Amino acid sequence: MEPGLTMNQALAEASRCLLCHDAPCAAGCPASTAPDLFIRKLRFRNLKGAAKVIKERNIMGGVCAVVCPTCSLCAQGCTAAGLDEPIAIGALQRFIVEHAWNIGFNPLEAGEPNGHRVAIVGSGPAGLACAADLAKAGYSAVIFEKQAAAGGMLQYGIPNHRLSREFLERELEDVRALGVKFRLDTAVESQADLDRLGADGFEAVFVATGAWHCATLNVAHRDGSGLVDGLTFLMEAKEDKDELRAGLTGKEVLVVGGGDTAMDAAVTAKRAGARDVSIVYRRSFVEMPGSPGEKRLAMDDGVHFVILTQPVDYVITDGKVTGARVVRTRLGDPDASGRRRPENLPDTEHTIAADLIIEAIGLEPAPTIRHLDALTIGDGERIQVNEDMRASADLPIYAGGDAVRGASIVAKAVRDGKAAAAAIRRDLEGELKKELGR
Amino acid sequence: MTQYKRLETTFLGVKFENPVMLSSSPVSNTGEMVGRSFDAGFGGVVFKTIGAGKEKIIHPGPRMAGYDYHADRLVGLQNVEQISDRPMADNLADLAYLKKNWPTKVVVSSIMGFTKQEWRDLAKASEDAGADMLELNFSCPHMTVEGSGMKVSHAQALVGEFTAEVKNATGLPVLAKLTPNITDITETARFAKEGGADGLTAINTVQALSGIGLDDLTPRPNVAGKGAMSGYSGPAVKPIGLRCISQLAQAGDLGLPLSGCGGIETWIDAIEYLLVGSGTLQITTGVIHYGYRIIEDILEGMDFYLADRGVDSLDDIVGKALPNIVPTDQFDLTSQGVADYDLDRCVGCGQCHIVCHDAAGQCLGWDETQRRPVMHEDKCLGCMICSFVCPVASPPMIQYRVVPGKPEILPPVSR
Repeated sequence: MEPGLTMNQALAEASRCLLCHDAPCAAGCPASTAPDLFIRKLRFRNLKGAAKVIKERNIMGGVCAVVCPTCSLCAQGCTAAGLDEPIAIGALQRFIVEHAWNIGFNPLEAGEPNGHRVAIVGSGPAGLACAADLAKAGYSAVIFEKQAAAGGMLQYGIPNHRLSREFLERELEDVRALGVKFRLDTAVESQADLDRLGADGFEAVFVATGAWHCATLNVAHRDGSGLVDGLTFLMEAKEDKDELRAGLTGKEVLVVGGGDTAMDAAVTAKRAGARDVSIVYRRSFVEMPGSPGEKRLAMDDGVHFVILTQPVDYVITDGKVTGARVVRTRLGDPDASGRRRPENLPDTEHTIAADLIIEAIGLEPAPTIRHLDALTIGDGERIQVNEDMRASADLPIYAGGDAVRGASIVAKAVRDGKAAAAAIRRDLEGELKKELGR
Repeated sequence: MTQYKRLETTFLGVKFENPVMLSSSPVSNTGEMVGRSFDAGFGGVVFKTIGAGKEKIIHPGPRMAGYDYHADRLVGLQNVEQISDRPMADNLADLAYLKKNWPTKVVVSSIMGFTKQEWRDLAKASEDAGADMLELNFSCPHMTVEGSGMKVSHAQALVGEFTAEVKNATGLPVLAKLTPNITDITETARFAKEGGADGLTAINTVQALSGIGLDDLTPRPNVAGKGAMSGYSGPAVKPIGLRCISQLAQAGDLGLPLSGCGGIETWIDAIEYLLVGSGTLQITTGVIHYGYRIIEDILEGMDFYLADRGVDSLDDIVGKALPNIVPTDQFDLTSQGVADYDLDRCVGCGQCHIVCHDAAGQCLGWDETQRRPVMHEDKCLGCMICSFVCPVASPPMIQYRVVPGKPEILPPVSR
């Protein structure tokens, strides 16, 4: 990770803030982290107060600060842009959170135990946010995590150059400090598993299992050599840098896709020693869904951008993927997403050779989500919920994050976790009142 | 080094290439240092104050502390510096060195005695070393011995007595350096004039406490667990310096040439000091912040200003603002106005709305849809605080507009 701001840099940046009467930045944060408040508190040297604002509202305040695409959220409406450039809100947020860590200040406290028990499935940002809010209200919150380490996509899907394990670990400490329990290596992926939670005394379940299933252009070769999906590549890269470096040094790598996973994979491959890394994308640069910061980073690292180019299949030699067959495209009329649709140009098919092709063309919840019979699964394998994050009309099951939205940003997962915690509290404490009244 | 014809002047009978000198401080501590400042462009120096050497001078550690405003460094500077800690002979040798190698530059010897004899001896020794002028330090705020430094100014008669001693001992022109830490600076000045001073320097540092450590409960600088009410300088004190020079210049019975100092950093500061009556200028904190090189832009900027106004000599602008500095009862109160908004340039932060609401006439509403202030001119006091916080400031999008016949605005009784 790049180093954060120093105290003086943060104060200088905060002094650029116009302290708006009706701060547009505040409205732009899905997690309601209140940048207007924490920047003002920083400006008036109330650093503890600033940290309190962030961490009380967003338990993942540190992670969000470093991975959030602020330019399309809080910073998008920043009034200072009318003078020069938007305030570096993410950088200030990171400074405040790290400052609090450095001085050992933790503004969060677990609530007086109220006897309620809630199970959370998945330890990504949605699950963590839900668990933290419940713990603050006195709940016993237990997170069940299939993987060996907590954090979900933050732990496995975001490369170290954007979010280091040490940084994430420090933020997870704040969750543990609230008394949230983690059951690692413990999958909850069948209706029987869910039923068992009820039998174990959990009164509600929040399902936040994320979106871990990668789309592919060629199912037949998914497990063949020379072809890997972006998430698997990033997970392996996170585990063992040396092995990755040995495998990639001097190699030609193609990355298919234009989102942040594609950018992360491309930068990771380049930094691991690949000779050339090319991102192949079927529309043009501005249509790429990757955030501007990540696209910029990939460019600065020397990743090639092969735009207006559509892969149609892979070249397979002796059972190994050795290249991609591609055609050139042009942009037609906008599609449902509002972006102009790519149209293949005739007689342009050609082959790009590659030692490794990384597919990063979309993530969705794994098909195994359908094993949870109590849930209704909609388009893109997404769990259907009502406005209270309730995923079942009969049972106290709630869901949020990427499992509901499809692949999205951390701040929105945090929003869902907070909303689910609020709904769970309303439901359970309402019942408690009923019981007491009886 | 560029020579600026317009900036040449004569002050107390001494010819200056330009009116800007180093003031007596760490920046004028040695001949070698001052020589470099001359090469950079300074027109003269008031050398670091020389004492008679009877008391051993030891500087406290640390001797200075910066005062910052948010991320702006050294808005002010606090110091507990003493007079020169070097042997008197070394300082006198350096005065001679400077006059020998930079004969066109003006060397002023700043002196501080504890007795009349010391004042006489120091004056004579400085003259013998070749100094062009003397400056009598009646204003160092760190002296604890009665009858020394700022305490001379407090025991006003001593100012006259010591000045007279010096005048009797030498033929050199004499500046008395005055402290602002007194009720009326012109009173001290009158004693200096009675003693025969040829001119006045103002201001020495403002006695201040620029900060208290929240952990050690000790003023800055923290000298081994203690601090002192001591000298404060830099841009933060410029308004006090301008006020003192104006008071000295407007005191009709004084009529003494003035050397102005206190927070000069740019040519604009320099011109302001000239406009209120300074004939020469002195700088320390600006050099402590940026080095001797700041003189380049001070001189060039002053020269451009004079050229733009069609003025051939800086002498022609000295004191030119004084007729416009009046007691408040001489204001034309029939002229009233309002804040005039160029909303096309507004960025929509709403700070004007907040401060008008909490600190002025509540004349600015807020259009939540457009994110713009809504002016109700009939309630505008014309106080202009909105323009002070408006970030669209160059040029300002909020300007004062005179409204002929504007009715008096009196806020109603609260109910």
